[in-house]
Amino acid sequence: MGRGGAAADQRRRILEATAELIAGQGYQETTMEQIVRRARVGYKTFYKHFPDREAAFLALLDAATAHTVERVEGAYEREEGPWPDRVGAALGALFEDVAAHPAAARCVLVEATAAGNEAAAKHEAALKRLAKLLRPGRELNPRREKLPQTLEETLSGGVVWVLGQRLMAGEAAKLRALLPETLEFLLRPYVGEEEAAREAGETAEAISA
Amino acid sequence: MSAEELGPLPAGRHGYSREQVAHHQRERLIAGLAAAVAEKGYAATTLSDIVRHAKVSRRVFYANFERKEECFLAAFEVVAEHLRELVAAAAGEAERWPAQTIAALRAALAFLAAEPDLARLCLLESRAAGPAATVRFAEAVAEAAPPLARGRAERPTGARLPASTEDSTLGSLVSLAQRKVAVGEAERLEDLLPDCVELVLLPYLGPAEAARLAREAA
Repeated sequence: MGRGGAAADQRRRILEATAELIAGQGYQETTMEQIVRRARVGYKTFYKHFPDREAAFLALLDAATAHTVERVEGAYEREEGPWPDRVGAALGALFEDVAAHPAAARCVLVEATAAGNEAAAKHEAALKRLAKLLRPGRELNPRREKLPQTLEETLSGGVVWVLGQRLMAGEAAKLRALLPETLEFLLRPYVGEEEAAREAGETAEAISA
Repeated sequence: MSAEELGPLPAGRHGYSREQVAHHQRERLIAGLAAAVAEKGYAATTLSDIVRHAKVSRRVFYANFERKEECFLAAFEVVAEHLRELVAAAAGEAERWPAQTIAALRAALAFLAAEPDLARLCLLESRAAGPAATVRFAEAVAEAAPPLARGRAERPTGARLPASTEDSTLGSLVSLAQRKVAVGEAERLEDLLPDCVELVLLPYLGPAEAARLAREAA
C-alpha cells in the first residue's frame, strides 16, 4: 500500500469508527478518545485528517449520504417503467443500502438531527433528495398542485422515521419485509389506494420470489 | 405560560394548589431546566444554568436528580403528560373517530404553537438529550398509534391497511412539526392543521373524504 493508500485507509477507519460509536451511543456521548482507540490510529493521525470530532462526523455524513443518494437516484433513473415502479426501485435501493450499512444509516437518519446545525442541515438535505423523486407523482393525481404542498417532504419524513425506529430497535436485517408497506404509504396519496396496494403486492411477490 | 411557569403542570392530578406546587423544588428544577434549554439549547445548558433559573442550590439539584439528562427526562414527562391530557380532553368532546382525531390534532398543534419553547424542548431537544430521551420521545409518539388505529374500523378496506400505517403516519406528522419548529416557526404550527388532517385521515377515510375534512378544518 502506498502512502496515499495508507492515508485513505486511515481516513476510512476513522469514519467507520465514528459511525459505529455514534450509532451505538449517540453523538454527545462519543469522545475523540473513543474514536482514535476504535480506529486504531493515534491522535496525530486523527488531526491530520480532521480538526475535531464534529468534522469527522460531518465527513461521515457527507460520505454516507453521497453513497446512498447515488444508489437511490441511480435505481430511480435506471427503472424505465412508469413512475410508481421508479419509486419502488428507489425505495428498494434505499432499504438495501440502509440494511447493508446500518451504523452509517443511523448516523444520517437519526443522530445527525441531534448533533448541531450543520449536521441537521445535512440530514435535511438528504431528505429533500428523497422528496424530489416523489414530486412527479402529482402528475398522476387529478388534484396535482392542490395536494398539500408539504406532502413530499412529509412522506419522506415518515419513511425516515420508520427506518430510524427500526435501526434503533436493531432490526436492520428485517427491513426488507417492510418495503412493500412503505411503498404503499408513499404511493397512496398520488395514485390512490387500490393502485398503491397493487404495487405493494407486486413488490411483496418480487421479494419472496 | 412561560417555561418559568411550567412548574405546576398539570394542576389537577396531584391535588396540590398551584402555589403549593410552585414551591416544590423538583418542579422548580424542571421549570429551571426548561427555561435554560429555551435560552441556549440542551447541549449548552449547564447545571449552573438550571439551578440559577430554578433559584435553588446545587445540593437541591443532586437531591432530586443525578444529572442533567435525568432532569430533562422529568421535564419531558411533565410536558408529555400535559399534552396527553389536553389531547384526551379535546378528543373526548367529539363523538366519532374522524372528529375525535381532528380535535386531537388541533389541540396538540394549538398547545405547541402557544408554547414554542416547550415545543422545541419536546420535538427537537429530546434528540440532543441522549439515548434515553430519544427512546422516550419515540415511545411518547407511539402512544398515539392505538387511538389512530381505531380509524381502521371506519371502512371495510381498513382491515387491509399495512401494519406500519400508524407508524409511518405518526412519523410524518412528527417530521412535519419538527421542521416547522427547527426553522423558528413553532408559533405557526397551527397552519399545518389542514395538511396534517389530510395526511392522517387519508389511509382510513380515503382521499376524497380526507381532503374534504382537511378543507373544513382550515
